[in-house]
Amino acid sequence: MKKKPVTLLGFVMILMLSMSLSACGSSGGSDDSASSGGGTDTTGTSSGGTSGSGTELSGKITFLTNRTDMIGKEYDDYVKRFNEKYPNIKVEFEGSQTDYNQQAKVRMAGDELPDVMFIPTIPNSDLPKYFAPLDDLGLDDKITFKDFRSYEGKVYGITTGNSTSGIVYNKKAFADAGITELPKTWDEFLSACEKLKQKGIVPLASNFKDKWPLNNWVYDLPRLIENNADFPNAKLNTDTPFTMDNGYGKAFSLIRELNEKDYLEKDINSTNWEQSKKDVASGKFAMYFLGNWVINQVIGAGTTSDNIGFFPLPYDNSGTVRAALSPDFFYAVSKNSKNVEAAKAFVKWMLEDSGYEDFAGFIPPLKDKESKLAQLKDFQATGVELQEGTPDDATVTDILNKAQIDMPAIVQEFVLAKDPQSVLDKWNKAWAKAKKDLGK
Amino acid sequence: MFGTLSYRKQKTIIIVSFLLIPLILLATFTYYPAIKLIYYSFTNWDGYSPEKPWVGLDNYREVFSNSDIFKVFEHNFAYFAMGIVQNIIAIYFAVVLNSRLRGRNMFRILLFLPYIMNGVAVAFMFGYVFDTTNGSLNLFLSSLGLKHLGETSWLGTEGLVNYALASTGLWRFMGYNMVIYIASLQAIPKDIYEAAKIDGAGSWQTLWKITLPNMKPVIQLNLFLTVTGALEVFDLPFVLTKGGPAGASQTYVQRVVETAFAYNNYGLASAMSVILLFFVVIVLAVQQLVLSRGGNK
Repeated sequence: MKKKPVTLLGFVMILMLSMSLSACGSSGGSDDSASSGGGTDTTGTSSGGTSGSGTELSGKITFLTNRTDMIGKEYDDYVKRFNEKYPNIKVEFEGSQTDYNQQAKVRMAGDELPDVMFIPTIPNSDLPKYFAPLDDLGLDDKITFKDFRSYEGKVYGITTGNSTSGIVYNKKAFADAGITELPKTWDEFLSACEKLKQKGIVPLASNFKDKWPLNNWVYDLPRLIENNADFPNAKLNTDTPFTMDNGYGKAFSLIRELNEKDYLEKDINSTNWEQSKKDVASGKFAMYFLGNWVINQVIGAGTTSDNIGFFPLPYDNSGTVRAALSPDFFYAVSKNSKNVEAAKAFVKWMLEDSGYEDFAGFIPPLKDKESKLAQLKDFQATGVELQEGTPDDATVTDILNKAQIDMPAIVQEFVLAKDPQSVLDKWNKAWAKAKKDLGK
Repeated sequence: MFGTLSYRKQKTIIIVSFLLIPLILLATFTYYPAIKLIYYSFTNWDGYSPEKPWVGLDNYREVFSNSDIFKVFEHNFAYFAMGIVQNIIAIYFAVVLNSRLRGRNMFRILLFLPYIMNGVAVAFMFGYVFDTTNGSLNLFLSSLGLKHLGETSWLGTEGLVNYALASTGLWRFMGYNMVIYIASLQAIPKDIYEAAKIDGAGSWQTLWKITLPNMKPVIQLNLFLTVTGALEVFDLPFVLTKGGPAGASQTYVQRVVETAFAYNNYGLASAMSVILLFFVVIVLAVQQLVLSRGGNK
């Protein structure tokens, strides 16, 4: 009776000991290989420099990207071409989960940043904590949005490409509805919508339900209507940022009017983004009000490039039209990267030689480059004035967060509400309260 | 070496050593995050910066001073109501599939399968079902000749959206509840039924007087799962409606997630989670009190 448990206990002890030992062994092994790899990396980097020729730079870098669709396809081609110039840099791609922003922030908190990444939504004052300055790439005079992601005179992020927003439309649908000339005023735009509706074509695919497709209505249009690039930050000076007669109220009213006249989807609370691309491609839906990045996606959904056009949305009847120029994600190099120089070389190459902006349908990030996209050329030929955006004021963002204001959600409420003024009142109140609580 | 220890001590050592790994797992993945959560609820951490400024009870004060936050519990009610229906259906199927029925294992598997599927995948699938213009549900209704009903905006009508979403939950979790009920049914001794039969009890009487009373503890368990489930719904509205139209289907957990990740306010979000935890405890206590009045062992 007494003997049995002793042997049992002994057996258990031996079992656990051997298990923990074997676990140690395997983890020790992997540690070894990792550290030796790191060792060669660092020596490689220290001997190289940005100015040196490609062969001097070496090491392994990881790029956390949101374009999971390009991994194993276009990116393989990029690496091949990149390695012709920098044969000793090994580039690995890591696909992000669906929410890049959130994932990047979690990794920031865990201090596990990849070497090359995009900057998530953090205030510019936090940039030096995580990223290395990029001024020594020698691109400062060439890049657009140089000051957008910089802090105290140093550039920490360079735009991957720029977008403008406007009406992406199916040319055949326009022709079928008998629209011969592109609308230049809001009234002409409405009559074009009416013609399309009569033809049984849904004039504008809003993708209202998904909320993010409304971004251009709330982030671009108000500042264009006000003709003030810094209008979003001007909220700081008022307790009632949302009024019927300023940019916000006017922009929100435009989409409300489209909905009231049934120029949007039949049920705007039940929309399907993936399907809408196919429907715009086939001509069942005629238009999108989105960034130019969508053009290639619509073509990819089943139509030819010459069937898709792009023109600025005429938001009033004045006849002069402006469109917003906005940066997409910003490249950044992690401060704690083991191979900062190699990572920088990769960013520079992506900007200058990769051709990513044309693949993604962006306006090039470098000023002296021209877009190869026909639609963008047409767009600029309309004589539209492109208004460069300004970085968000961190204080404004703080107040918006404190008040839990999500602007695309406001426009949703505004469109659905019986009394739109009450929606503005509600959020003005939330804004004023948050502003006071933060003592701004 | 172990001979000097008493039998009782040796037993404890063995029990502890066997339980060590599950306990470590439990501590690292349940209790440690929970304690962290409580700690964060007293800070106004933004979710990524190294500093976590201590603000005391401010977050709790803010939650309770903002009545808007608790209004979303109205939306959770739909899930609770549907959960009750779900339990009734589950009991029905459990009783039916516990009888000698041909191919009953097949039916059990069919009803249980939805539970195995990934919640987000289920939500996506139902996105196609509920779509107003191309959805299979509306197409089906129209083909039945119900023209008007076939144009319903299931996910876009304020009073309807939560019930539409909750019905998806019903489809998914009914099988799970059913399996638990079947297990408890099988634990009821057959001789009770035989005795009742000899005494001339009908099937309705057997169900009411024997089956249900014997299943009471399990019904309690399932009700608890239903209530907490209803309070914690997240994936369905998150994927299908994003809380729309205009916040009509927003649930409490969704609001917590938004506060943390969209508005960078981990502190407040943590406080909201802690409050939800207490809510669940209170609801559970009330439920225990009410249901055990009938005299429990």
